[in-house]
Amino acid sequence: MKPSPFEYRAPASVKEVLPLLGLESSVLAGGQSLVPMLNLRLAQPELVVDINGVAELDYIRADGGPLRIGAITRQVALERSELVRERWPLLHKAIRFVGHHQIRSRGTVGGSVAHADPAAELPAALIALGARLHLRSSGGVRALDASEFFLGPLYTAREPGELLVEVEVPKQPDGAGTGFAEHARTHGDFATAGAAAVVAPGGRAGIALLGAGPVPVRAEAAERALAGGAEPREVAALAAQDVDDEHRRALCTELAHRAIEEAMG
Amino acid sequence: MTGPFVGHPVLRREDERILRGRTRYLDDIEPPGAAHVAFVRSPFAHARIGGIDAPDGLAGVHTVITHGDLEGRVTDLPVQGFEGGRVTAEGHPVLAGDEVRYAGQPVAAVLAESRALAEDAAELIEVDYEPLDTVLDARRSEVTMSHWHKVAGDVEGAFESAAYVVRASHALPRLAPVPMEPRGAIASYDEADDMLTVWVSAQDSHRQLAGLAAVLDRPEESIRVIVPDVGGAFGSKGAPAPETMLVAAAAMATGRTVKWAEDREENFVASYQGRGMEADVELALDADGTMLGLRARIWADLGGYLMPTTAIPTHTTAMLMCGVYDIQVADVEIVGRRTNKVPTGPYRGAGRPEAAYFVECTVDVAARELGIDPLELRRRNFIRELPYETALGWTYDSGDYARCLDRAVELLEPERHSDEERVVGTGFGMYVERAGGLFETADAELLPDGRLLVRSGSSPHGQGHDTTFAQIAAERFGVGLDDVEFRFGDSKEVPRGVGTFASRSVAMGGSAVMQAVDALKEKCDAVSARLEPSVSLREIAENEPGLQASARFKSELVFSSGAYGAVVEIERATGRLRVVRVAAVDDAGTIINPLLAEGQVIGGTAQGLGECLVEEAVYDEEGNPTFASFVGYRLLTAAEMPPVVTAFVETPSPLNPLGAKGIGEGGAIGTPGAVANAVADALGGVRIDPPFSENKLWRALREAGA
Amino acid sequence: MKISVQINGRTYEGDAEPRTLLSDFIRHGAGLTGTKVGCEQGVCGACTVQLDGEAVRSCLMLAVQANGRTLRTVEGLAADGGLHPLQSAFHEAHALQCGFCTPGFLMSMDAFIREHPDADEDQLREALSGNLCRCTGYLGIVEAVEHAAREMREA
Repeated sequence: MKPSPFEYRAPASVKEVLPLLGLESSVLAGGQSLVPMLNLRLAQPELVVDINGVAELDYIRADGGPLRIGAITRQVALERSELVRERWPLLHKAIRFVGHHQIRSRGTVGGSVAHADPAAELPAALIALGARLHLRSSGGVRALDASEFFLGPLYTAREPGELLVEVEVPKQPDGAGTGFAEHARTHGDFATAGAAAVVAPGGRAGIALLGAGPVPVRAEAAERALAGGAEPREVAALAAQDVDDEHRRALCTELAHRAIEEAMG
Repeated sequence: MTGPFVGHPVLRREDERILRGRTRYLDDIEPPGAAHVAFVRSPFAHARIGGIDAPDGLAGVHTVITHGDLEGRVTDLPVQGFEGGRVTAEGHPVLAGDEVRYAGQPVAAVLAESRALAEDAAELIEVDYEPLDTVLDARRSEVTMSHWHKVAGDVEGAFESAAYVVRASHALPRLAPVPMEPRGAIASYDEADDMLTVWVSAQDSHRQLAGLAAVLDRPEESIRVIVPDVGGAFGSKGAPAPETMLVAAAAMATGRTVKWAEDREENFVASYQGRGMEADVELALDADGTMLGLRARIWADLGGYLMPTTAIPTHTTAMLMCGVYDIQVADVEIVGRRTNKVPTGPYRGAGRPEAAYFVECTVDVAARELGIDPLELRRRNFIRELPYETALGWTYDSGDYARCLDRAVELLEPERHSDEERVVGTGFGMYVERAGGLFETADAELLPDGRLLVRSGSSPHGQGHDTTFAQIAAERFGVGLDDVEFRFGDSKEVPRGVGTFASRSVAMGGSAVMQAVDALKEKCDAVSARLEPSVSLREIAENEPGLQASARFKSELVFSSGAYGAVVEIERATGRLRVVRVAAVDDAGTIINPLLAEGQVIGGTAQGLGECLVEEAVYDEEGNPTFASFVGYRLLTAAEMPPVVTAFVETPSPLNPLGAKGIGEGGAIGTPGAVANAVADALGGVRIDPPFSENKLWRALREAGA
Repeated sequence: MKISVQINGRTYEGDAEPRTLLSDFIRHGAGLTGTKVGCEQGVCGACTVQLDGEAVRSCLMLAVQANGRTLRTVEGLAADGGLHPLQSAFHEAHALQCGFCTPGFLMSMDAFIREHPDADEDQLREALSGNLCRCTGYLGIVEAVEHAAREMREA
């Protein structure tokens, strides 16, 4: 399976990338999602814009405030980051389920978010963490909450002329616990379902499900219940209540329960 | 070191070049200036073809070939029948004519400077398809392509007088073989010599050669087939592929060297699949559990055409429906039906897993209905005296089924309990399977330096023939392993033989090697008797150059057997199945290399587990494959493999000088029945067919009120 | 586009279309066919090579992306005639049959073990899940990798 022919550009700065974006071009970051589609000819862009050389997008920093991850940060860098493991452990837990180590060597944080596979781990974790996504275009910048970004399977609020440049994750409450659970048919395969949870002392929570529907879902009713002192079992059931298939609902409930229990220590 | 080698876990001679990356599989061969092929394949499961329009002047394209261009140059692929039954003449065409019968069927071939350019051109070829109704269910299909029916003994009498008649229905979905190396072929035609040379990733050169000769209507001597390193096959590279025929015909028509390297998508949709059978089984038993008779009606989902070997597994399944049990009254019928899917064909086990599954699941159902322990029920009915002629017509040469089962129970450590979180079950499954048969060839030659060169009709694709056969040859000849060299796979080099399938290599190929080497040794001994007893082999060769001996070893089928056991655990909350451990006891007669034999068992078991846990080739309601990539068809990874404890029971076969049977397929044959019975045990008797998905198990647990 | 890639310590130069996959450049451009192609989807792992020491799927990279970079393939794994501990371990544990998946396993696990020398069996199995094998049933591979990891730790 060989790709259709395409033009190729590898700009070195965001400024040079922006004018190249549009409906006929595809952004190549880690390539772990795009290249299979190119090979299967499911994607046939006229232009591939390789952003791996845009060094200004490769960073993980906190500077005392929120965590800021540049879009082309490799998933393996996130996995190896001491900073992330200590202060945003949910990301560390989630990233370990993303594909396999060879995928994570190349795959990027921004790529996973922009690709928006409904079974992807990072989008759900970011929603649970209350993350914000920063986009740039020739027309300017804007930021969206992660929970507003994912609109459908492989479909996000990013306009064709926009580039996702940064993932911003707010400081987490002191003493917050985190949990992540997923089921896949085989290890490293696309998840059948999963849950990400952040629970702060006092009960404030962020809970998100993946595989519960066409997009990762923030379980707001469940979060309120948890804050109100409900038992984890009940909270989990609430988180999954809108899942239509019986088995899938049971599965989501169970995974949400595990994630919440883990987060509550 | 001159042996003994037989029976020892000798490490493989093949390994070093593999580990260093010095192998040459089909796609590693890069003939300069070759034309690369991409196929236009039908997107419809069933359609009439009106016309094909290929634009001219496409970049890098040499030519586009359609069915019309092949008129007079090729016939449809041949169809193999079987004894006692009937197959229709629905051979697979090289390229589709006016009809396509499955999505993925090759319709046209583009030859271009590169695969990428060929694919570009293929996208621009317009085929006028008129979609037709599809048939996707074997039971409902009205077209029978193969049929076999045998009645033995007083069936009505047995069923009427029986204290119990147990009825059970079972289904095994289609599986994709998924060798890690897809298929491929390269062909080159020398007009001056009228010699067609074809390299093909195949299980052996012989069947490829016979197929090419038949389809291209050429004498066999005018074709040379070379089998390079092969990256797995599991049955799927045995029968020649229509694409291989196209490559050969294209090379002859264009005068170019033509190469087709199948990609993974093609391999999923167009390589013939395995299993795809369902059965209604009835077992008549008397009050104490003695089996009185068996009736079975089986439907095989054969796909759109009969590939050369499509019908063979159906015959095999039917012939083995009495399993390891002493049942002399039987009525077994199997119909192979046409559906709008890719054809099925031999896939690791090739009919034996289906028989073992249908029989062993029924036995457990019977045990539950009669209130007898499933192991006890088996023991009461085992065939005890072998050789044994079955009611269905085959004669089992040797075996000790009771010993296999006892050993499996010992090794497995059965477990069953349930608590709030999970249910645990244990199950066993026996199997008996046919291996070997027909004949095999070997030529042994004394080289000038005194080493032994053996050419074998067997052909390896991962099994380690070079090592295993060297063990036999070196020990018989009285030399070290390093003094023996083997040649496989090139039809110009090796004697015409039968090839590698049906776990026949040691029993047939190994026996032929032994006979050829023994005959050569006799000749060498005669020479040394003339000279002086301490003369070296090199001196013998100097004295009488060109010493050689040939063997053609022929035998009836041999029958391997075994007992598999599995402990499984189902998580109540999610339905998730975990296979906790497997015990695999196989009787393949004499084991030449226990290390390699165990490798075969574990590899086969992994495929059997894959079938139970995650594998299923699903077509949607319109006949579109949902398994065109690894996203739609999963294989188990190292993370899912449970511990597998293996043991060999050796009841030597009387039918060959090695006493060997076959070990290549037992794992795939014995595992599914054991796992299915373990799952049913965990579910309190509820029966489910594979794959045992979370969904199915979760619902079954709820329905069982467990 | 003209590209220059360091593979196993040697420089390979060639012409590559943007759409040429790195796996095809390695195999047909540089003639190093030890790296195999099993799916071109990034699932089977047969094409795994090391890019600056990291295991990557060469079927998911464009050849042009490797311009000026350093690769190691299976042909470069053994040091000077000897065998890498993984290669010996695979041999001794009968962890290969047809061999098609083997180079991918070797390159993947060499990278993984160097990064995680203290990985336990579960972690090794998880790491192994990124390479598919259809012949062996994996148990020999797990044994080989455990053994090699011990040896590499002690070295």
